[in-house]
Amino acid sequence: MFAYIARRIVYVIPIVISVALVCFLLVHITPGDPLVAVLPADASQELAAQLRTAYGFDRPLPVQFGLWLWRALNGDLGNSIATGRPVLSEVMRAVGNTVTLAIFAALIGFTLGLLFGLIAGYFRDSWIDKTATSFAIAGVSVPHYWLGMVLVIIFSVQLNWLPAVGAGPGGSGAWAWDWDHLRYLILPAVTSSVIPMGIVTRTVRALTGDILSQDFVEALRAKGLRETNVFRHVVKNAAPTALAVMGLQLGYMLGGSILIETVFSWPGSGLLLNSAIFQRDLPLLQGTILVLALFFVLLNLLVDIAQAAIDPRIKRG
Amino acid sequence: MRTEKTKTMALAAALAIALAGLPRAAGAETVLRIGMTAADIPRTLGQPDQGFEGNRFTGLTMYDGLTMWDLSSADKASVVIPGLATEWKVDDSDKKKWIFKLRPGVTFHDGSPFNADAVVWNVDKVLKQNAPQFDPSQVGVTASRMPTLASARKIDDMTVELTTKEPDSFLPINLTNLFMASPAKWQKFYDTAEGADAKAKSQAAWAAFARDASGTGPWKMTKFTPRERLELVKNAAYWDKARVPKVDKMVLLPMPEANARTAALLSGQVDWVEAPAPDALPEINQRGFVLYSNEEPHVWPWQFSRIEGSPWNDIRVRKAANLCVDREGLRDGLLAGLMVPATGTFEPGHPWRGKPTFQIKYDKPAAQKLMREAGYGPNKKLTVKIQTSASGSGQMLPLPMNEYLQQALAECYFDVQLDVIEWNTLFTNWRRGAKDPTANGANATNVTYAAMDPFFALVRFLQSSMAPPVSNNWGYINNPKFDELVTKARQSFDPAARDAALAELHAASVDDAAFLYVAHDVAPRAMSPKVKGFVQPKSWFVDFSPISMTP
Amino acid sequence: MSTITDLVLQAAPATKARGYWATVGRRIMRDKVSMACALILILIFASALLAPWLGLADPYQGSMIRRLRHIGTPGYLLGTDELGRDMLSRLVYGGRLSLIIGILPVILAFVIGTGLGLVAGYVGGKLNTAIMRTIDVFYAFPSVLLAIAISGALGAGIVNSIVSLTVVFVPQITRVAESVTTGVRNMDFVEAARASGAGPLTIMRVHMLGNVLGPIFVYATGLISVSMILAAGLSFLGLGTKPPEPEWGLMLNTLRTAIYVNPWVAALPGVMIFAVSICFNLLSDGMRSAMDIRN
Repeated sequence: MFAYIARRIVYVIPIVISVALVCFLLVHITPGDPLVAVLPADASQELAAQLRTAYGFDRPLPVQFGLWLWRALNGDLGNSIATGRPVLSEVMRAVGNTVTLAIFAALIGFTLGLLFGLIAGYFRDSWIDKTATSFAIAGVSVPHYWLGMVLVIIFSVQLNWLPAVGAGPGGSGAWAWDWDHLRYLILPAVTSSVIPMGIVTRTVRALTGDILSQDFVEALRAKGLRETNVFRHVVKNAAPTALAVMGLQLGYMLGGSILIETVFSWPGSGLLLNSAIFQRDLPLLQGTILVLALFFVLLNLLVDIAQAAIDPRIKRG
Repeated sequence: MRTEKTKTMALAAALAIALAGLPRAAGAETVLRIGMTAADIPRTLGQPDQGFEGNRFTGLTMYDGLTMWDLSSADKASVVIPGLATEWKVDDSDKKKWIFKLRPGVTFHDGSPFNADAVVWNVDKVLKQNAPQFDPSQVGVTASRMPTLASARKIDDMTVELTTKEPDSFLPINLTNLFMASPAKWQKFYDTAEGADAKAKSQAAWAAFARDASGTGPWKMTKFTPRERLELVKNAAYWDKARVPKVDKMVLLPMPEANARTAALLSGQVDWVEAPAPDALPEINQRGFVLYSNEEPHVWPWQFSRIEGSPWNDIRVRKAANLCVDREGLRDGLLAGLMVPATGTFEPGHPWRGKPTFQIKYDKPAAQKLMREAGYGPNKKLTVKIQTSASGSGQMLPLPMNEYLQQALAECYFDVQLDVIEWNTLFTNWRRGAKDPTANGANATNVTYAAMDPFFALVRFLQSSMAPPVSNNWGYINNPKFDELVTKARQSFDPAARDAALAELHAASVDDAAFLYVAHDVAPRAMSPKVKGFVQPKSWFVDFSPISMTP
Repeated sequence: MSTITDLVLQAAPATKARGYWATVGRRIMRDKVSMACALILILIFASALLAPWLGLADPYQGSMIRRLRHIGTPGYLLGTDELGRDMLSRLVYGGRLSLIIGILPVILAFVIGTGLGLVAGYVGGKLNTAIMRTIDVFYAFPSVLLAIAISGALGAGIVNSIVSLTVVFVPQITRVAESVTTGVRNMDFVEAARASGAGPLTIMRVHMLGNVLGPIFVYATGLISVSMILAAGLSFLGLGTKPPEPEWGLMLNTLRTAIYVNPWVAALPGVMIFAVSICFNLLSDGMRSAMDIRN
């Protein structure tokens, strides 16, 4: 097991470096002036050249990449051009908000998904199964940004029950786990929970159905094994795959939150990414993409290890 | 620590209040909460980013300039008045030197005095490269708004001499953009800052200053959550007693999305939003919210290319386009009343309007006649290509508006093609000019501009020497008459003479149909009926001091 | 993943393939849900394709006077948009771009990914390592993030959207293709063919393609729904199609300002994306279960 973990970690290192390179290159093929945020269109050429040197954009790309990577390894992702604040602290604060949202959404999505999936798997082809499957398929097929819009219209604009945007009455800086703040979390969390709900339902339903239809379950039942034991058997066999799927979904919620966060102005990494793209803030853009991708890599690693720990047969090379 | 029971009760109470849709119980403190259009809190360190919205919220609130805008009237044009300088005049023997007398008895929020040293320090922060406080990130937004200012020198504690690169009567207007930050406060951060060298220490000091800033303005910075929220409290010791704020606290929230802003207002999350979604106006009114708007020094134009081969070189075509657009129809339809039809850069009543002879109005027959004279007709359409963006600061509703123009001009034998690009790219291309490959064959560009200052409203577009790469004469306008009038205005140091020369320049530009003038933005804002005492001036800016909140 | 291994288990020698596909076809024809979805999709595709001949209003022609008419207004069956353009017409025409930018990336990724996966899986060794490790790098990004990052870098535009989504899907399809190929390659009938002296190209063409393409095809069909939502999402953020082209995601974006006046009209483009996406998902499910002999 220990050797397996060590091997997985060593295997991740080249991925991390390649990911950094991809982030850097992606951002630098971007057309447009990287200094547009601090340099008005009417600035003189002389001023533009002066600032380009001050920010280091006049150096060759490989040099810029090397410097950036070296600093990144030392925990410094540079300063945002638009705000002058350190990128790392900006990203980490935003990621914190995204994590809050993702955990809440995961709580809703995974709970419902597991519940629906188990019930549907147990009662295959019954009306319960059909209802749960319909929910699941709707969940994975709905454009969630549109769903968010619709929820805002209904619950904020029409009914005035829940706030439409933001992260609490005092912003995320004054976040607290009370109703006053949780109200702000409900709509975005519900909206981002529909996809994981659908996917977990489908996965768990398929797993449960498969396991229950296997011959040995019949045999166990025939031997008079109690249903709770059969259930335990189902859970044990379904856990590794379900866990992997949920881990992946959590990763998608962390890294792919841009649409939801844009609809709800939720001050997370997705909203940060959005403003970095539209402000052409290169250090912020590459820093945000890098941190999010690294989180995803890390999460995948943890899922692999957890899977292997539960079921030693599954060890990926 | 609270007990479990009180927690539950508090939760139940909060739930009840929330479900009843009531605002949260307010104490004695009055708070004004504003939803801005910016995606981020504008920079707080003295020279804001985010254009004039930045100046409105984190410039003029926390800081003052040597000169300021008069924001007290909704009817009169907003003009420059004394700020931290009480009077100024140009040196008669050397028109490049100006003497500014400073206001006595003013202190920064940290208690340090405002004086000539502070003015020199603040000029040096953007103009003197070897000064420790020199900050490249503030240079762009500041230096470009004071293109001729060169240096500052202390004469005595309350007198400063400013030097320009060339004689320039616009300097006092430009100086509204230079905000005075506290040198003492910055120095304190600098002394304790960590950094490998002076440059790194300076950067760290500015970052610290941005979190805990100090100016002389009517509002003081208290709490700051980057990208989410800025809290300002009133400065009871403000030097102009008439402008000490009436509310205790102002909270600024960035809400870049129009629908989100509108929903936040309707659900009581904020008391005031900038630029509500136009289609939501009936709903806003119906729910008892109050809408304000006023003509803004802003122009939504097509800026014509005048390079060789451009169809706009024919004045008949330029005039025809100006006559073929039903601006009232645009205002009443698409923009739900939220624009003022543009008949030039400045409208009648403005000191720089002048008396143009070419009347810009909707006259389709006249436009068609001009086009036929120029050799076009229903079977021989003139193809023009416009570069525009899908969004952007001040662009209003760029695509729907351009599509409206596309349809309107089709009636006058124009075949309008739109080249829609990203806002930042459009803005960058603006500096590169019509000859640059980035123009992508477009013969007009659709970048809106602020028209508060004569340089930004007229000179940078009309003077031939402002052609790229120098400034924004994107279409390479080269008209000796314009050049002559620019020089005349710049060298008229008597304000009345200067204004007369500017009016003459403006009238000449309208008569030449230098732009397709379409609309002025009206800076719509919607507020809760609790907000009282608000006056919306004809400006990009607002005075928050007289505003009060009824419970 | 389990679905892939399941599908590999059903692989059969080329000789048996014809009978197998006929069975699959019969099974799918009996599935009412799949048939209903297929019908809806055919309708949407056909109307998009035949849009100019359906006698619809000009999707670009707007009018300030008739903005945001409600659904059911005489002459405007589905109302009008924020510029007074006929919604029915724009939804039908919008299908053209929306379907192209939603489906083309999957087709491109199917071709590229299958090619890469087949080669990697069949040849194995160092080439497999080279291909699969490169793929892993792209796999290390969450798909939405990767799509946004590439689109954000390249700038808005239809071609850029298609490129960015293709880059997102190639790694996923390559992984499936490689895994299926590796599985099939080690099966008895392939071994037998190899032993009887068939060349690698013949084996690939005759025995592998048939067995490999099916599972990848099913997987790719499932991706179309994701692709439709993502492509429209890019336009929704302002990173995809540019106005005034009718496209569902972009229409959703520009109609957002109208949700206070006419929420139902504003919601229509979302309904279209939803409909196409759910139909592709159900169809993909139907095909998967039709191919699952054990059921």
